[in-house]
Amino acid sequence: MFSVLALWLALAGSPLHATIVAPGAPDSPETGGILRITAENSGGTLDPQISYVHITYQMEAIVYDGLTTFAKTPSKLSSHAIPDLAEALPEPQDGGRTYVFHLRHGIHFSNGKEVTPDDVVASMQRIFKVNSPTAGPYYSHIVGGEACLKDTEHCTLKGGVEADDRAWTVTFHLTHPDAEFFDRLAFQHASILPADTPAHDTGNEAPLGTGPYRIVSYEPNSGLKMERNPYFRQWDAVAQPAGYPDEIHYSFGLDPEAAVTAIENNQYDWMLESVPLDRQAEVGARFSDRVKLIEQLVIYYAALNVNLPPFNDLRVRQALNYALNRKAVVIYNGGPAVSTAACQMLPTGAPGYEPGCAYTKGASPEHPAPEWKEPDLALAKKLVEESGTKGQKVVIVTPGSGGSGAIANEIRATLVDLGYVASVRPITPVIEFSYIQNSDNKVQIGLTGWSADYPSASSFLRTLFSCATFIPHSSNSINASQFCDPKLDALMDRAAEVSLTDQKAGDALWAEASRALMAQAPALPLDQTRRVALTSTRVHGEYDTPIYEAVFSQMKLRRAGDAP
Amino acid sequence: MLKALLQRFGQTVFVLFGISVLVFLVFFATPGADPTSRIAGKNASPETIAKVRQEYGFDRPLPVQYTTMMKKLFITQDLTSYANRGEKVVPELIKAAPVTLSLATGGAVIWVVASILMGTVAAAFRGTWIDRTLMAVGLVGISIPVFWLGQVANLITQARYHDTWLFSWVPALGYVPFAESPVGWFKALIIPWCTLAVLFIGVYARVLRSDLVTVSGEDFMRTARAKGLSPTRVLLVHGLRTSMITFVSLFGMDFAQLIGGGALLTEVVFGLQGVGRLTYQALSALDLPLIMASVMYSAVFVVLANALVDVIYIFLDPRVRDGR
Repeated sequence: MFSVLALWLALAGSPLHATIVAPGAPDSPETGGILRITAENSGGTLDPQISYVHITYQMEAIVYDGLTTFAKTPSKLSSHAIPDLAEALPEPQDGGRTYVFHLRHGIHFSNGKEVTPDDVVASMQRIFKVNSPTAGPYYSHIVGGEACLKDTEHCTLKGGVEADDRAWTVTFHLTHPDAEFFDRLAFQHASILPADTPAHDTGNEAPLGTGPYRIVSYEPNSGLKMERNPYFRQWDAVAQPAGYPDEIHYSFGLDPEAAVTAIENNQYDWMLESVPLDRQAEVGARFSDRVKLIEQLVIYYAALNVNLPPFNDLRVRQALNYALNRKAVVIYNGGPAVSTAACQMLPTGAPGYEPGCAYTKGASPEHPAPEWKEPDLALAKKLVEESGTKGQKVVIVTPGSGGSGAIANEIRATLVDLGYVASVRPITPVIEFSYIQNSDNKVQIGLTGWSADYPSASSFLRTLFSCATFIPHSSNSINASQFCDPKLDALMDRAAEVSLTDQKAGDALWAEASRALMAQAPALPLDQTRRVALTSTRVHGEYDTPIYEAVFSQMKLRRAGDAP
Repeated sequence: MLKALLQRFGQTVFVLFGISVLVFLVFFATPGADPTSRIAGKNASPETIAKVRQEYGFDRPLPVQYTTMMKKLFITQDLTSYANRGEKVVPELIKAAPVTLSLATGGAVIWVVASILMGTVAAAFRGTWIDRTLMAVGLVGISIPVFWLGQVANLITQARYHDTWLFSWVPALGYVPFAESPVGWFKALIIPWCTLAVLFIGVYARVLRSDLVTVSGEDFMRTARAKGLSPTRVLLVHGLRTSMITFVSLFGMDFAQLIGGGALLTEVVFGLQGVGRLTYQALSALDLPLIMASVMYSAVFVVLANALVDVIYIFLDPRVRDGR
């Protein structure tokens, strides 16, 4: 009987996959299979309102949705937030202080329960109840947010977030206008979860979500499994497209070197980490068709402490910026195909980025060159001479791994050339950032990198260099340069305000702020890198987006016998 | 007997206490180790930092923090990681233990069998080229660092010759639980077992050979030979049994140390998610609860193994039994 049916289907030319496609899956011959991913370590808690590492951000992008999101369809689309569980981006009311979101009908959590406005309100309250890392910086300007920060247990956001079950809307009231409000709602900490999700870190248990996949098992020491959310039906192909693989298996434990070999052998399909520098030539030569360079909104830099000698002198900060050979930095980070010399604290691709380099031969903050060309050691030496700081001791704090050590030594050699007594202090990478952002640790130069939670100029400039983010005697003062300039703050405020109504004019002001910041040189921008991604022969198609880098739901798998 | 047991228990508690205090104090003396800002997340507001500090008890005096941690580790067993909020360290260790046990046991079988063979043959052919060759091979094994050998094994079996008939059976690095697939378990572990065993084969073979040579001149060996027993019987029954004392005491310590996470480098190189790798992960993340749990776990095994070795002595050496 079966063979007769199969014959009939074959003769009728009907695609067999159409009969077996899972609920919520794209009706395509490329649907199905198990995607196998590997990473060195897991990312800790699965609670989307708390987890704050790249690995979980990427995994949870296809498990959870917010009112808004960033595009998950591979393309060079805008990196600004788009509507997700909300039907459209609402027009700002009350001068940008009120937003009324119309919730989509018929969207279900992975247990079949429909998403209601009450779930949205509860999710916003939960951000504070669980002490979400971004509760303060991203969401405390919702009316009632400040009170929630102080008394998390009794957080109601009264007057800040209101549900209307009849109109199927959720209204937000802000204490002040915010040009990045949609972006903040698109960040994973604002994921919409069922209202009855426990008000504490759920740890290894993933709360229910609305995306095309649900997490069915998780062992932080070994692996994670995702399968299709049976209640998912695609509502917007850009915001949350249906997923191709039937299951996604994440294995933890392979170091990046071993992971590269495993992918070369087709034992895994993709790895979290970038291909290590020493393997890039090999994979480039042998597997160029399986390698993809993915743009990242990341900037590597050295924070110069403006409150400690010698960097409390503008001339010294500028001198170091002029003297550093950024070509060497690029080589240490993998060469020009992977790394680009940076001259400012906004990475290429960030809103407000305008090419320009104030510190290279023949350039100045007033007359920047289009790009970095070569160091100007003579001018640097002259500036140091004028500052009268020659001979002082400088200690460079750096993460003790990867190319950072080599770059720190390059900076040390540059400082020695300029007449300082410089040394390098490597610190285990996991605590290096905490160490340099502790304002009591008296770090003169600290090497680090910064990747924004969402693409905006403010997540680089305001977060790292505003007066508000320098907290004296604090272990959590993210402004490691300890830089505070009220004039620059005012310019950044104005840029944010203008961006509310005129994105282009706002971006121009952010570009001006970036130039003004570099005129003060509180940091030594080093470079911006691309991610070198390697896939197995099974993976094909486009899967990268500006925000998530790789969207696993969009990885299509070849079956045995398919032509590569 | 009861007194001896109590004494042993007292020693164990004392050792564990000493280690735990040391690890705890070293952590808090390390600059930049304050986990509050790491737990709270980048750019967390001062209010969130204060809440986390209070929630985790970092605002309490160190002795109170220490006591709370020990209570959570040994009594309530709900101690959570500082690096992975929500990860309970005791269940993590329990899940990792079978991986380490599989690795250490398989490795031990190989090194015990191979080293007894090598040591006995070398002693039997003392002074000949066979003896010299075996001991030289053993020395080479001792000299090769396990992480290097593991990487070379991976290079050969996973990369360079993976697609050849010789190594195409080698699975991807990582552990396959026995319950899931006994064949997969064996395939995943056979190369790590051999790598782990290489160092120990050299050490044990040399120790055994030297003991066999030493006992060959003892009175009881002369008596055995005088009774007309064959040289093989004298060597294997009389000589080997007595010589196994050092071997067993060494084995007890080494095996316990491996079970307690000592195979760290092998686990890391082969991507086996055992106790050693967990310890490595804890150290690289400076995750005090996980460091504390894995160190305590390891210490318990070493102390217990000491006790077990003492018992085995009694069976192996009649002189120890007579002395009771």
